[in-house]
Amino acid sequence: MSEHPERSTTAAGPATTVPAVELNGITKRFPGVVANSDVTLKVARGTVHAIVGENGAGKSTLMKILYGMQRPDEGTIEVDGSPVTFHTPADAIKAGIGMVHQHFKLADNLTVLENVVLGSEPRRGWRLDIEGARRKIVGISDRYGLDVDPDPLVEDLGVGERQRVEILKVLYRGARTLILDEPTAVLVPQEVDELFDALQELKAEGLTVIFISHKLDEVLKVADEITVIRRGTTVRTVLPSEVTPRKLAELMVGSELPSPQTSESTVTDRAALEVKGLTVRDREGRPVVDDVTLTIHAGEVLGIAGVEGNGQAELVEAIMGIRPAEGSVVLEGRDLAGVPTRERRTAGVAFVPEDRIRQGLLLESPLWENRMLGHQTSPPNARGPLVNRRGARADTERIVRDYDVRTPSIDVTASALSGGNQQKLIVGREMSGNPRLLLAAHPTRGVDVGAQAAIWDHLRRARAEGLAVLLISADLDELIGLSDSLKVILRGRLVADADPSTVTPEDLGSAMTGAGSTTDGGPAAREGSES
Amino acid sequence: MERFVPRFDPRRTGLAILAPLLALAVAAALSSVVLLVADHSPLVAFQEMWNYGRKPEQVVNILNKGSGYFLSALAVAIGFRMNLFNIGVDGQYRIAAMFAAVAGAAVTLPGPLHIIFIVAVAVVVGAVWAGVAGLLKVYRGVSEVISTIMLNFIGAAFVAWAVTPQVWATLENNVVRTPTIPESGWFPGFSWSGVPEGGTQTVVFGEIYGFIVISGLVGIAYWFVLSRTRFGFDLRATGSSEPAAVASGVDVKRMVLTSMLLSGAVAGLVGMPILLGAAHSFGSQDFPAGIGFTGIAIALLGRNNPVGIAFASVLWGFLDVSNQILDIQGIPKEIVTIMQGTVVLAVVIAYEMVRRISVASEQRRVLSSERTVPTDPAVDASSGGAK
Repeated sequence: MSEHPERSTTAAGPATTVPAVELNGITKRFPGVVANSDVTLKVARGTVHAIVGENGAGKSTLMKILYGMQRPDEGTIEVDGSPVTFHTPADAIKAGIGMVHQHFKLADNLTVLENVVLGSEPRRGWRLDIEGARRKIVGISDRYGLDVDPDPLVEDLGVGERQRVEILKVLYRGARTLILDEPTAVLVPQEVDELFDALQELKAEGLTVIFISHKLDEVLKVADEITVIRRGTTVRTVLPSEVTPRKLAELMVGSELPSPQTSESTVTDRAALEVKGLTVRDREGRPVVDDVTLTIHAGEVLGIAGVEGNGQAELVEAIMGIRPAEGSVVLEGRDLAGVPTRERRTAGVAFVPEDRIRQGLLLESPLWENRMLGHQTSPPNARGPLVNRRGARADTERIVRDYDVRTPSIDVTASALSGGNQQKLIVGREMSGNPRLLLAAHPTRGVDVGAQAAIWDHLRRARAEGLAVLLISADLDELIGLSDSLKVILRGRLVADADPSTVTPEDLGSAMTGAGSTTDGGPAAREGSES
Repeated sequence: MERFVPRFDPRRTGLAILAPLLALAVAAALSSVVLLVADHSPLVAFQEMWNYGRKPEQVVNILNKGSGYFLSALAVAIGFRMNLFNIGVDGQYRIAAMFAAVAGAAVTLPGPLHIIFIVAVAVVVGAVWAGVAGLLKVYRGVSEVISTIMLNFIGAAFVAWAVTPQVWATLENNVVRTPTIPESGWFPGFSWSGVPEGGTQTVVFGEIYGFIVISGLVGIAYWFVLSRTRFGFDLRATGSSEPAAVASGVDVKRMVLTSMLLSGAVAGLVGMPILLGAAHSFGSQDFPAGIGFTGIAIALLGRNNPVGIAFASVLWGFLDVSNQILDIQGIPKEIVTIMQGTVVLAVVIAYEMVRRISVASEQRRVLSSERTVPTDPAVDASSGGAK
């Protein structure tokens, strides 16, 4: 096989003994499609091995095979040198392989301890051995520095803590090899650092970690070896010291790529959106968005940095008219007080929601009906009170083409698309119809590198034509790269401004957690720009 | 031209038809078991039912019953499409039919106007009765399931009170009925006559209610409004994801109220075929409680699709009518009720299975378009270049 992907020699690699996990020639076919083809992977014991690849490159299928959720059609799996066949995840767990899913599988209303033992409850006689379980959990937590308290309810834990509970749960079942699926997708920079510290502890104790991600800088930071997967097959295995993020990204997409930097400012002095004293209250009357005042000019991208759950979603929903709020919202000189959501949309407000499954899509409807969602009253989707099916379909074809939505047809339901392709469809839809203001929450979340660049391009082009953008993102590089100005939100308040041309992700990260010079509720401090 | 042609996907259509057929087979199998346990031959029973139900007189009966069932199921389906459970079609239809009968008998109008007046009264009363539940949901957050069930009882009690000689009814031949509507308010039917099997004389088999045409038109209107209008899109969007509908600018409260009113309006029509075609006055024996609940089963079986609902209504009518022969043959006619019950259970399961199968096959199709088999030369070229 001349086209067999080359791999870096293991001489420089950290392992010389039997690999913890070895996959050889794994091929998995679904009817009409090969999801994995001749995948070869060698993971050395006691290392962090990253697997990177675009959405749909076949990472998930590979991990499902390794975790016993699917069986390969061809190829062998070896764990610690001996061949194994997994029929169910239980088999994989028995062989010492555990999986931490991207979406946590924890019961909110149970305690940490109950969640950990769920499904493998320790018994003494007929009774549940709570004390034994507690000792074991505390033991594991101490040994690997996970800092997990067995007693609180999971619903009271933060995202980072939940993740550590998931890791502990897997270790509790005796896993020696952990698969982490996109573990940093939900974390803020500080939490990511904590996770990486924990991974180092695991490694030091001789455990093996398989780390799936498409955040390349993180991969380079944490991994001992990196395997790139593209179009279902392993393309290359590299050492982090051999590559730059850019090089790695190019390996992933197989071509050169652009960066999020915007070239020149297109900011005008025409205010597109003026928000004054906007306050949103929760059911108990506490402000979740607290006296927010901001102005976005035509042609300007205003980035809002903040840890998720600090009022960003509520702020956006208030501007959309979905949530009742105090204060004023003025769009191009028109006061939107009392204006319903539909009218705001027709006035030119576009919306890429944070939670695309919940707010952005009709999962069971075909793509062309999803194209209409939010724009069902205006051309090309409507003609008077009637739906214009032909217009909507034709325009969906256009979005599929322009935004590279990978789909066999516009008649498949939205649920069939991968997350990245769903996102591309949403962005394409919201950029249609010449919007005046775009409220974009995580516009490239879950989207692969190539598509991310395409979405950035579209945003930049629209911005040059005078679109005002309110950008909310957890990807600080994206925020800094795209924004013309930046504000930091903490507990519903805008607590700091930053200059995207000088601020670093680290500065922004500490401002987001309130660790900077700003005190709670204090006046906006111009930090970030001075470091 | 393309927009007038429904997208025909043989695979999907095949699956959609397979599900109810599968459910029917399961229901038949289960009923057979029950019949065998009771020491009756299932083959004989089914044969009797089929032969009886095929007779022209019975076909008339089936269609007449079916036209009411069809409307009832449409009323339920309007709610279903929006995730609203209008359990109150039963009460809405009965109270609407009663008011329509009383009002129709109280006025004299020229032919078509008289009919239109009666139908309008029924539609308005049905809508108002359902609208109570809609208002309660929108302004007080009361679940429409609870309120419509309660309104069924209130409606039934009201009808029982109103249809007494002390109020609006009269006692004739030991039967309590509201006054008869003058002939100008009768909807002409289609008389069907012919030579029966083995006979020589031409006989009249019966009269198919003329209102069946209106039922059909309501079915077409249902399809048109839901799939071709912005309003229908909003309604379906709200049904499949309320947060997404809200974000798209749908006023959900208004939508709840409107669809409840529409559902009630169609429910008001349920009693019209029989009122205008045969009964011409309201009496409890002609307007039994339960048709609204049958509508729920039929809407499920027909999958909220007007064509599916039409078939399901005819099937239900057939089962209802043909059970009479079982009684005569000494076979317990309750077997039909068992069959109707199992069909609904089985069809719910079958549809869910079909849904999963089609989602899975769709995901595979999408997957194959997202990724090509890695013999793509680009892979080798670029990995070579990255050396």
